[in-house]
Amino acid sequence: MQKEQITDKEAICLLIVFIIGSSLIIGIGGEANNDAWIAGIVGVLMAIPMLLIFSRLLSLFQGKDLFDILYITLGTVIGKIVAILYIWYAFHLGALVLRNFGEFINTVAMPETPMFVSLFCLGLVCIIAVRLGIEVLGRITTYFLPILLFILVVVHFLAIPQLHLNYIKPILGNGLISVLKGGLLTFSFPFAETVLLIGVFGSLKTKKSPFKVCYWGISISAIVIIITTIRNTAVLGNMLDSFYFPSYAAVSRIKIGDFIQRIEVSVAFVFIFGVFIKSSICLLVACKGIGKMFNLKDYRTIVIQMGLLMIYFSYIVYDNTMMMRYWAFKVYPFYAFPLQVILPIMIWVLAEIKLKQ
Amino acid sequence: MLCYQSLLIKGINSVIVVVIIGYSFLAIYEFIPLYKQKLWHDFWVNVVLGIFSFTIAILLCLDVEIPSPEKPIRELIVSIFGK
Repeated sequence: MQKEQITDKEAICLLIVFIIGSSLIIGIGGEANNDAWIAGIVGVLMAIPMLLIFSRLLSLFQGKDLFDILYITLGTVIGKIVAILYIWYAFHLGALVLRNFGEFINTVAMPETPMFVSLFCLGLVCIIAVRLGIEVLGRITTYFLPILLFILVVVHFLAIPQLHLNYIKPILGNGLISVLKGGLLTFSFPFAETVLLIGVFGSLKTKKSPFKVCYWGISISAIVIIITTIRNTAVLGNMLDSFYFPSYAAVSRIKIGDFIQRIEVSVAFVFIFGVFIKSSICLLVACKGIGKMFNLKDYRTIVIQMGLLMIYFSYIVYDNTMMMRYWAFKVYPFYAFPLQVILPIMIWVLAEIKLKQ
Repeated sequence: MLCYQSLLIKGINSVIVVVIIGYSFLAIYEFIPLYKQKLWHDFWVNVVLGIFSFTIAILLCLDVEIPSPEKPIRELIVSIFGK
């Protein structure tokens, strides 16, 4: 397997797109309602220690990815069991993200097309991207991220006439508990999912780069997500929770002089690109895990089969959109918590002990 | 035979034909090169995954309801943490 390398800039772009990908459109905060932006800040604060742990792991084992680290720290047998958990998590997360995309297309754009068609089309693109490798993913993200940020900034400015800043008040009106719950949700839904990026960032160049990537990536993506949440709250008010896709609903309100209106397709563009990158990375990590587990020569040989399985799995995973939102907001944080927090902390402690000896 | 006729009426079998053609192309362009290069690990993992995904594809074509793992996970989480 030839060595693949990505630069720091590409890694930062990948991290940003991975985080803002699906959370921009599904929305964050859950039951915090108009305090969702505070929940976002709480989530970022919770996520920073975890991201530091992830980057510490990466810099301790420079040039190794998640599965190598697992085998080194936990031994072959336990390492393989934990690796299975991570492969399943990557596979499941990729399928969930694909499903978000399918529900989105089915709800807002093409209600009569079978969902399988949209899932299959995006899935094929992901398979091709993963077969081309992480370098290609990194490069395409560096090209597209400025466009995405430009769209986001322009849409924010255009939304200014629709803003009702009094919707944000009362601050902490629902009490602190709901904000903390929303914070846990924000922590687990976009931010701590970056645990999967350990599986990719083994191809970073230097020992210091993981910290730099983490620092820049998390600050930019947190700013983007929090500003978007404030805009959504200020446009939609307390109804924020009743939309399946709040960003889309908020942007569809924009209407400037009968001329600039119906620009929600711009949000769809950002969302589709984010989903593409996120599910590609999930597929890549799952394939790399299986490749390491069975000592394959190259992970690329199984990408097609894994991608097809991911598409089928995303097709059968939920019954409807309401189930998707229930899962994303009520079940997912607890389901992902061991994989996002407990296991990485254990691995980190073991790695520090092992390196001291 | 009856089953086959009902499938014909539903028009499902055309999809199955497409699936079978697609997977045979995959077999020709993916599996055979691996077999020729004697990469046995890659070949067997690929074959197992291929058979698995082929089975699921056929079941989806036949409108069989495949149980989703979403439900047991949800019930487990709800039983531990409450709603």
